[in-house]
Amino acid sequence: MAERVLVAMSGGVDSSVAAALLVEQGYDVVGATMKLFCHDDDLPDRPCCSLDSVNDARRVCQSLGVPHYVLNLESAFGSDVVDNFVQEYAAGRTPIPCVRCNTFTKFRDLLHKADGIDARWIATGHYARVAGGELRRGLDPAKDQSYFLWGIDRSVLARLLLPVGARTKPETRAIAHRLGLEVIAEKAESQDICFVPDGDHTTIIRKKLGDGAPSLTPGPFVLSNGTTVGAHAGFARFTIGQRRGLPGGFREPMFVVAIRPSDRAVVIGPRDELLGRGVIARSINWLVDAPPVGTRVEVQVRHRAQPAAAELVRADGDEIEIALDEPVAAITPGQSLVLYQGDRVLGGGLIDRSAGARSPLPVRAA
Amino acid sequence: MPEPIYLDHAATTPVRAEVLEAMLPFYGPRFGNPSSVHRWGRDARTALDEARERVARCLGASPDEICFTSGGTEADNIAVLGTWRARRDEGRTAIVTTPIEHKAVLASVHQAAHEGADERFVAMTPDGVVDRASYESLVDSGVAIATIMWVNNEIGTVQPIAELAAYAKSKGALFHTDGVQAFGKIEIDVRTLAVDVLSISGHKIGAPKGIGAVFIRRGTVIEPLFHGGQQDRGRRPGTENVASVVGFARAAELAVAEREEEVARLRRLRDQLERAIVARIPDATVHGAHAPERAPHILSVSIPGTDSESMLMALDLRGIGCSAGSACQSGSVTPSHVLSAIGVPPELATAAIRMSLGSLTSDACIARVAEVFPALVEKARGMARAS
Repeated sequence: MAERVLVAMSGGVDSSVAAALLVEQGYDVVGATMKLFCHDDDLPDRPCCSLDSVNDARRVCQSLGVPHYVLNLESAFGSDVVDNFVQEYAAGRTPIPCVRCNTFTKFRDLLHKADGIDARWIATGHYARVAGGELRRGLDPAKDQSYFLWGIDRSVLARLLLPVGARTKPETRAIAHRLGLEVIAEKAESQDICFVPDGDHTTIIRKKLGDGAPSLTPGPFVLSNGTTVGAHAGFARFTIGQRRGLPGGFREPMFVVAIRPSDRAVVIGPRDELLGRGVIARSINWLVDAPPVGTRVEVQVRHRAQPAAAELVRADGDEIEIALDEPVAAITPGQSLVLYQGDRVLGGGLIDRSAGARSPLPVRAA
Repeated sequence: MPEPIYLDHAATTPVRAEVLEAMLPFYGPRFGNPSSVHRWGRDARTALDEARERVARCLGASPDEICFTSGGTEADNIAVLGTWRARRDEGRTAIVTTPIEHKAVLASVHQAAHEGADERFVAMTPDGVVDRASYESLVDSGVAIATIMWVNNEIGTVQPIAELAAYAKSKGALFHTDGVQAFGKIEIDVRTLAVDVLSISGHKIGAPKGIGAVFIRRGTVIEPLFHGGQQDRGRRPGTENVASVVGFARAAELAVAEREEEVARLRRLRDQLERAIVARIPDATVHGAHAPERAPHILSVSIPGTDSESMLMALDLRGIGCSAGSACQSGSVTPSHVLSAIGVPPELATAAIRMSLGSLTSDACIARVAEVFPALVEKARGMARAS
């Protein structure tokens, strides 16, 4: 009997093609769209939103001849992902909600649903691969999404299928056309955070914490020597490395180099103050046996960054420290530190802070 | 996979062969518009008039008291908004209802509230019936209409409609009941009931979707929701859906004629299923189990440690179709307002499964569900414990 796979379907091209490929490969495919949030939750009589994406996923399943279900994970997503997102900004960090969504919503909650229907496998449309029991980068360097997957439980890998991870995006679109999935074949990429559709994350912070939230309250721009050089409208609008919205009149280009919630200060400085020679990360999750101190790795401190050569210099429980061979710019608390060896994803964690002396060396492209 | 089992008759039922047969001529040679003067019109008019008489007979009503609608939702809207809007200038602005009504009633009451009505919700007992003291305290001389459903669509509890209607009458209030789930299951005779308005629907009794009716007692004034021609005395303008009306009349006659026998059969099967589930799963909670009167075709059960969403998927993939509470438009499962209103804690409300029996339900279906359901529950709970 065909093995059953529960496919998380967003209504986009990647997860649709993932489902279609699994049908072709002979799996017993069950499609599910996770309803994660509601833009209209202040309209009590309209509990259904993201309806278009649900409809697209359903149409794809209909054309594939497989069942489709809508899973309401709003409440868990709200506490695991949205609340955390807001709290991280309040703490002066820059979170990546997709990482927590993968860790908790997709690869924990969805897995429970898979258990309930006897599904041996779960699948998504991520551009990453599972090989030899390990997570690998997606083959298309322009699309690789392995950076967002470091937090999943290692045991999930034995049940995870990532059918588009070995394709390029154009190939995926071509497959969609070949399979007649015209509904979704040319859908635009989703770039925004799904619950921040207009790109302005302060809206959700305001909604959750109110107008008086300290992270949305005016505070000073300061230099690292303590001089106040201006005022900003709320530190949640800033992230490390940001240039937009800073006061002018300096000889060199200025960047956000730190955010200090204690006095609501946004610290700005020239490019060399952005550089870090090391990274301290917490909430570490390993997808391989924990490597010993001294292991040579490549790390990424943000999505789409060039991997930087580094060494694991300290590992205390769920905190690690990495020494970078060359300094890296804009190591941002709240973003993810992901450790690779070539295509292999070793694991990752949440960046707590940069470590080691700042260096005047030239910035590596990062 | 064995033959799939449909256990969701409270959602909808298949169109009966007799009904389809009765309808077919109206998709063929008898296509006329009942308002036309010529022979085609006369022919359609005859069918419409006869159908109205037949539906009226099924309820003990007069033909002019029957207004055909697009279904239960429209009937409820006419009943609540039509009567309230007609009475709002009399100084009676309140509407009394329960928190366990169908959304068609609740949303109509909300709309009336938006237009100035005072909405009053009756307290429910944990058994899923109206708290009489609460009801009597709310129905006073300010009430335009009390609207209370006869049989609850989620848990199958039956309200004492005769007594509630009589009380409303004694206070000068109109009384509406949503009889969508009651029709064909409970004897309805408006000659012996103080009900002024009553909603019924076709597709719950083997007629097609898109047809229903509202009984409006003579002398009850309603403000129409639609504006147009003079069809149905202006209460419901629009060219009549003759084929569906004819089908509805046939289905209604069959449902009334077969009622006693079918009710006994469904009650026996439902009780059998309920006993089997409770025997295998001793901590199962059957909602409304202790109500003084239960409809024969609905079994709503919550199993601690499971969730409706996963159970429905697992049941469907085993070929068994049930439902949870009310499904929202995207098809996802939201906790039932009915269960919340009768005090079912959230962890049980989100675990509710409604099985509803009907024409497709045989002894063999029940035997299989009685096997498969507990097995799926054990599996789901095993997993919940393991994780």
